[in-house]
Amino acid sequence: MGKSVITAFLVLEMTEILINATLIGILIAIPLSFLSYFVVMRKMTFAGVGIAHASFGGIALGFLLGCESFIFPLVFCVVSSLFIGFLYKKGGFSEDSVIDVVFVFSMAFGIFILSLSNGYSGNVLGLLFGDILSVNKDYIVPVIGIFLLSMFFISYFFSHLNLITYNEDLARINGVRVDLLYYFFWIVLSVLIVFSIRLIGIVLVNAFLVLPTLVGLNVSKNFKGVIGVGILSSIISVAGGVILSYYVNTPTGATIVLLFFAFWILSFIFKI
Amino acid sequence: MIRAQNITLVRNNKKILEDVGFDVKKGEFVAIIGPNGAGKTTLVKIVIGLLKPTDGTIKINGVEPEEFIKKRNGVIGYLPQKAIVNWSMPLKVLDVVLIEKLSPFSFFRKYSKEDVERAEYWLEVFGIKNRVNAYIRDLSGGEQQRVSLARCMFNEPEILVLDEPNTAVDAVYNVKIYETLRKLCDNRDITVIMVTHDIGAVTMYVDKVMCLNIKLHCHSSPSAINYSEMLKRVYGNNINIVIHGEKCNNCIFGVRDDRNTH
Repeated sequence: MGKSVITAFLVLEMTEILINATLIGILIAIPLSFLSYFVVMRKMTFAGVGIAHASFGGIALGFLLGCESFIFPLVFCVVSSLFIGFLYKKGGFSEDSVIDVVFVFSMAFGIFILSLSNGYSGNVLGLLFGDILSVNKDYIVPVIGIFLLSMFFISYFFSHLNLITYNEDLARINGVRVDLLYYFFWIVLSVLIVFSIRLIGIVLVNAFLVLPTLVGLNVSKNFKGVIGVGILSSIISVAGGVILSYYVNTPTGATIVLLFFAFWILSFIFKI
Repeated sequence: MIRAQNITLVRNNKKILEDVGFDVKKGEFVAIIGPNGAGKTTLVKIVIGLLKPTDGTIKINGVEPEEFIKKRNGVIGYLPQKAIVNWSMPLKVLDVVLIEKLSPFSFFRKYSKEDVERAEYWLEVFGIKNRVNAYIRDLSGGEQQRVSLARCMFNEPEILVLDEPNTAVDAVYNVKIYETLRKLCDNRDITVIMVTHDIGAVTMYVDKVMCLNIKLHCHSSPSAINYSEMLKRVYGNNINIVIHGEKCNNCIFGVRDDRNTH
């Protein structure tokens, strides 16, 4: 009797974890699919890698100071992304080269800081490749807030972002504040990436920034179709990946990305 | 309509433009010619307010171009160089013509009937309406340029600033584009400023030619220009100007680069 109650309790708890993870994954994947369209079209697909790895420095600093909240990685990512944007706009460097510099600095900084925190027993693998158990229900409220804010930003400024992607000069003569929107774009991207790290992991999070549009481009020729298919494939990959990882007992982040990759291959076959 | 006075632009201690001044009247069709690096694109960017000159002033109807940008009143239609436009986007021809219609939450809306009809009208004017449902990346370079011209005209601007609109356009459509622009000047009083490397056929359609190479070497009607002298001054002494026929009224059909033969 007692054993069955414990089992039922564990199943209930696991179900809650799976539902939370799926919900959080979907709430992040939808706005990231929209941003993915602009990231791929502007050929800045390395951005996700850079921003995600920038969070490592912040997470490490948080460990050292005994604070594991998302504040440190968030601040680190936002500052890094603004730094990338500033150097690209004003310094005359290419986006990729600046991202690369921030990426290696942040990783080196993170490892350096971790080595200073004696007795550190944090889950580095979980950080790098995602850990479903770290996605608890306390995470849902901020993620819902971020989903609403980012979707408002994207949908309100969609035509502006579309015009900037088509041609920046044209956007400027139409009164679009290109630089301001550019920095906001990086901030929104950073926030979404920071909140997806727990589920997907630093190393794999860029999949959500590249694969939606790549799948979409294989299936549709129209921008609305591309984004729509990207959203759909993201949702199915997240939900499918979370459930599959539970039954097959595999890391959730890796399973989601593998499923997404399978989608991309399937869409490629569909295209040819 | 447009008055530029003593425009100078210095970048990294190098003069990109020096003491450029000109007037363009309403309804005039002006071609800016000059070699690569002459400052043609820089000059048109100053005209539309994308760049600020180091020295000098530019006014459109007595107002600085930046004011037009702030007001978003669609007075200026701009066609940037083809190479800096993102043609790989998954957009239909209609999406491109309407791309300057900026409105919140546009992703979730359909185009209005009036907008579609106006877009189709301008596509028809530039002879590309038959491709209205095509995707821009599937078009030829010349077709893409004609779509861009239709986009420029969608807001029915007072001034058209075109940076090499005939890039990748074949000879037949090149002439058709010039004819259409000429009609826009004559019938709708639109002012057209066009950067071009075509120093041949263009002279038959424009009111004025501006020969630029950092400095403005001439700004007058095509018939008043001594091309042999002027083009040698602008392009250098290594070119051989080929002018065909006296009846052509100074129009030029070829410039031969003799640099390899000397």
